[in-house]
Amino acid sequence: MAKIGVFTCWCGENIARHIDVERVSKAIESLPGVHCSMNYKYMCSEPGQSLIIDQIKSLGLTGVVVASCSPHMHLKTFRAAAQLAGVNPYMVEMANIREQCSWVHADKEEATAKAIELIRISVEKLRHNRPLQPISVPITKKALVIGGGVAGIQAALDIAAAGHEVILVEKEPSVGGKMAGLSETFPTLDCSQCILTPRMVEVNQHPKIRLMTYSEVEKVEGYIGNFSVTIRQKARYVDVNKCTGCGTCWNGCPNKRIPNSFDFNLGNRTAIYIPFPQAVPARPVIDSSRCIHFKNGKCGICEKNCAAGAINFNDEDKLITEEVGAVVVATGYQLYSIGKEQSNPNLSGYGEYGYGKYKDVIDSLQFERLISASGPTGGEPKRPSDGRVPQKIVFIQCVGSRDNAKGVSYCSKICCMYTAKHTMLYKHKVHDGEAHVFYMDIRSGGKKYDEFVRRAIEQDGALYHRGRVSKITEEEIDGVRKLVVRGADTLTGKPVTVEADMVVLACAMAPTDGATALAQKLSVGYDEYGFLSESHPKLRPVETNSAGVFLCGACQGPKDIPESVAQASAAAAKVLVMFSQDHLTREPEIAHVDESLCAACCACVQACPYEAISIEEIVDRKGNHVKNTSRVNPGLCMGCGTCVAVCPSKSIDLEGFTEEEVYAEIESLLS
Amino acid sequence: MEYQEYQLRETAAKLLEEEKANVVIGYGLSKTGKVVPVFITRPEDAQKLVWNSECHQNLVVFLTRPEVKRLGKPAIVVKPCDARAIVVLANESQIMRHEVYVIGMVCEGVNEDQGRPSSRCAICYGHYPQNVDQVIGEAEDAPKDLSKEERRKTGKYQRIEEIKALPPDERLAYWKREFSRCVRCYACRQSCPLCYCNRCVADKNRPARIPTSASLQGNFAWNILRAFHLAGRCVSCGACSAACPAGIDLNLINLTLANAAEEQFDHLSGTKVGALPLIGTFSESDKEDFIR
Repeated sequence: MAKIGVFTCWCGENIARHIDVERVSKAIESLPGVHCSMNYKYMCSEPGQSLIIDQIKSLGLTGVVVASCSPHMHLKTFRAAAQLAGVNPYMVEMANIREQCSWVHADKEEATAKAIELIRISVEKLRHNRPLQPISVPITKKALVIGGGVAGIQAALDIAAAGHEVILVEKEPSVGGKMAGLSETFPTLDCSQCILTPRMVEVNQHPKIRLMTYSEVEKVEGYIGNFSVTIRQKARYVDVNKCTGCGTCWNGCPNKRIPNSFDFNLGNRTAIYIPFPQAVPARPVIDSSRCIHFKNGKCGICEKNCAAGAINFNDEDKLITEEVGAVVVATGYQLYSIGKEQSNPNLSGYGEYGYGKYKDVIDSLQFERLISASGPTGGEPKRPSDGRVPQKIVFIQCVGSRDNAKGVSYCSKICCMYTAKHTMLYKHKVHDGEAHVFYMDIRSGGKKYDEFVRRAIEQDGALYHRGRVSKITEEEIDGVRKLVVRGADTLTGKPVTVEADMVVLACAMAPTDGATALAQKLSVGYDEYGFLSESHPKLRPVETNSAGVFLCGACQGPKDIPESVAQASAAAAKVLVMFSQDHLTREPEIAHVDESLCAACCACVQACPYEAISIEEIVDRKGNHVKNTSRVNPGLCMGCGTCVAVCPSKSIDLEGFTEEEVYAEIESLLS
Repeated sequence: MEYQEYQLRETAAKLLEEEKANVVIGYGLSKTGKVVPVFITRPEDAQKLVWNSECHQNLVVFLTRPEVKRLGKPAIVVKPCDARAIVVLANESQIMRHEVYVIGMVCEGVNEDQGRPSSRCAICYGHYPQNVDQVIGEAEDAPKDLSKEERRKTGKYQRIEEIKALPPDERLAYWKREFSRCVRCYACRQSCPLCYCNRCVADKNRPARIPTSASLQGNFAWNILRAFHLAGRCVSCGACSAACPAGIDLNLINLTLANAAEEQFDHLSGTKVGALPLIGTFSESDKEDFIR
């Protein structure tokens, strides 16, 4: 026989202003199964919880209904309180009389009547509830980090520092990501390579980290604590164990004029190459699409020159399967290719800026390479068209960002800062040069960030124009090809025309290609632009809705280096919390199959978005086939209930939200 | 047809003799001379098999019955429309396709009782059986198959269009009239080759999903629920319409949903081996324009 206590919360004034809490308590008292009905100003506070605990103990309650806020807010709180008093936590129900009642109704009479109804259906459900036990799942204490940029490196190092094994997968031949290509970093102007390359070396040398470059995640199976990941290690054609990284091969390669994607095609590389001199591992790969040997079977100079015998033209892609307990996604970003053909059909692009048409209109990452000491010009800012040092550069911010008509609606967050940095770096190298910036607003929130922008304007003399650029044309002026930038300064209200030698576009940040395909493999959500979704923007910022999968860095949204690193350490901390236990406790509110009734039609297997259901054979003691049935993997099931909806015979049910419980709620509402 | 019957008996006897099958599910004659299902387990009994225009029942329904499963490895006589149900059963993992020997009859059309042409033949999808292990009969003997467009012009489809064209209240009145005759005998369910659940949701009582008594409300709930359970699965064999003692043309509902599946998702149930269930498979390219 149920002994139910109902505890109605005032939530200060939040509930009590629009609901007559006393009347609610009184009306609930007489419901079948209800043994006590009380109210208190803040039920979630210490005295409120004590009230619940005392009533459970003194009256021997078997279940508790708390009428207060959304279960998202405090279900855990009240379940814990009930457990302290010896009641199964799943015998706690919440009636949401705040978000779904007092906050949305103005009429006190009606709101009070509705609150009574809401509590009544919760009581009815609780009368049908069964005590549930949390599920325990073992954990493989090994993590997979996808993406070897600064975020991935940080996460891998942190997890490894705690003594757990890490597999770090990077699709490029070297770790380092976008940061490895940057010149200096804001707001301190410390050299990007100087702070990153030691960490790149560290991931390669760490005994607990297995670094897999030139590799991609092919398939992910399993569930939190027990993932099985298949990684495709692309054919490198170089035996990394034999290779010493001496460089004879790439220095001898006759195919020298291949655009280097690490330099965003501003510089060249050979067919056998390392992307940049500080690459980790310092082992080359052969680009089989450009190598002469793969075209006609000839050449083979690298093979002849290699003293270590590391060249293997017969190398093939390898599929490696690894068992891991947690996955950290750090796939980073790229820039929208504004002006060229758009991969995103929602972007119309900026054809009027002539990117791709005029050689001296470049994007911000290309500019980073131009002023980087390790870049194609050795750090000298030179025009891609004729190698002249530009005397006047125009930087255009918000190219694509914050533009609903042509680009994306969001702010890319880092462009204001790096554009200020670009003007400084340029002025430090070309003292008499002019740096013009066209901007919409300057967004420089962050420690020492606004000071940095002011320094660019006040000390280094960057010329800021508040306004947009309408058109860029290439014209020959006094025998020199110039880019004529026509824009407006909305502060003076006058048109501005700058005859520039070079234009740098601060293009919007976008998730890397393939990020959404990876998200689908991991059952992680993503937004309309392809940025991966965190579980809760404030309270669970590095978790995803796929248990055991964590996010960090720019794959989740535009971010600068400090934020990416902070998030990476946060993700690592979440992984370490998981790994601090031998078993995982999971909520028992998951699907359950009545195997005697299941006809094994597989409807649920198809419908399950988490691939948590499989068909299993039931055999008798002699091993004879009795029947097939679907079975839910408790580690994988997220309790969404899609399977219940598609099951024709309703042989599958969701614990904690059983058909019986839900029907009881509906029937009580209709009675 | 007589030669087909001769071939069928020879085939059945051989299958049983060679133990390629332990039971042949086919058509035979009752003591009163009516065509009824027979389960032949001995080669000498193969002579009892018949094949004529009265063989309208869909025998596939027996493949999933436990009492038939106990007879051993089955061979089954199917018409082209019935054969589609076998494909669905295999797709839904109810049978292991290689464990069933399917004898497909080239079909010239069948009659229901009293010589009335079967309603399924009005919308015939093809006279030559597909996805079977052996075909009995010659393709050239069969009438020409209707194209999709020609099928849409048949009386059955015209009837659907007529009902769909009715104003909502008249349409509701029509179905109220039809469903008020339903006695909830569940003959539709029992005759359906795709209603194979161990426990039908109509028999669920904690909680009861649909009222069990033959009230109009419960009848609506049952018939609509059954239609949805068959959406994208029904092969339009017409067994339910033929079995209904109240004479409700249930196939009208199923056919409407089958049309929707064909028009919206290019999904014709039972024509593709290994097809995934239409309901329960989601794709980003799924059409949504029919959701109003």
